[in-house]
Amino acid sequence: MAAIVAFMLFGLGILVLVLRRDLVIKLLALGLVNAASILFFVSIGDRPGARAPIQLPGEIAVLADPLPQALVLSAIVVNFAILALALVFVMILVERYHTTDSTRIEQEIAREIDEEETPCP
Amino acid sequence: MNKRRIRTILAVGIIATFATLVALTFVSNYPVPADSQQYLARPLGETGASNRVAGIYLNYRLLDTLLEVLVFSVAVLGVRHYLQQSEGMSLPALSESEVVQTAVGFLSPLALLLCTFFAIFGHISPGGGFAAGVIAASGLLYMAIAHGMKAMEARLNPDRLALAEKATLLILLAFVLSPVAIGRVPLTDLLPKGTPGQLLSGGSILIYNILIAMKVFVGAWAVIAVFAQHRGEL
Repeated sequence: MAAIVAFMLFGLGILVLVLRRDLVIKLLALGLVNAASILFFVSIGDRPGARAPIQLPGEIAVLADPLPQALVLSAIVVNFAILALALVFVMILVERYHTTDSTRIEQEIAREIDEEETPCP
Repeated sequence: MNKRRIRTILAVGIIATFATLVALTFVSNYPVPADSQQYLARPLGETGASNRVAGIYLNYRLLDTLLEVLVFSVAVLGVRHYLQQSEGMSLPALSESEVVQTAVGFLSPLALLLCTFFAIFGHISPGGGFAAGVIAASGLLYMAIAHGMKAMEARLNPDRLALAEKATLLILLAFVLSPVAIGRVPLTDLLPKGTPGQLLSGGSILIYNILIAMKVFVGAWAVIAVFAQHRGEL
């Protein structure tokens, strides 16, 4: 069940990431995609009737697989790093071009390049 | 073909690939892949930590975790570098309502207490250094929202904190490399493992958790502070 929710969230995130032109919305969608991946990893570690992987000596219990949970920590930290840095770049772009629309920013940059290449009369 | 259609095809393609991946995962090795079963089959005394996840990422896969910490440090460095270069805005400070200030007075100490608990007990209960650090940083963020960034900066200088972050990273690396001094391989856990389930168990995991909590706390706060500085106010 959790894997299906993860898949739906991932799909939603990718759709928004590709189709929306607003850079801030794109970053939010990237966060959603990452959260979906984390949910997916945690869900594949689950087993019927499993407990959290905390075990006392001599205790025999069905435990959730700890490996995906340990791996997901890297994903969380890397996601934080990517989002923080991407937000900084978005802020710099907004300060320079006064818009969060990726297409308009592309047009502005193309115009700037054209102006640089055209020799002054 | 216009740009929007290409984008739609791209999005559908990515989702289809992911769906195939999900389907294959469930068909192939599910429910228990052989590799991960090995970790649960290993005796608890090998790491000494009753939290199996902490045992994996702070003992068996410690090198991965160190690189993760390094990625975090690089992100903090990048955010500070690029934001200090750009000019920034200065929004007027708005004072928060009494409700928020009272709630923050109650929640912030609780967040700091939770941070301490998660860092110290991370190897025997749910928690760990990363979670603890983020909780403490959010506690400070509450305080910054209620009392204003200027008041917080007067108490906790972000520049000094950024230095403290690097110092913590250095201590962490020195600790990891310390077995070399007695002729052992780096990353070897020299401390006694203790009885799993007790506070003093898990070898070096307790120390790693505390150091990582400090590092993540200081780093996350440095990032929040530099974002707030750049904007003028939270």
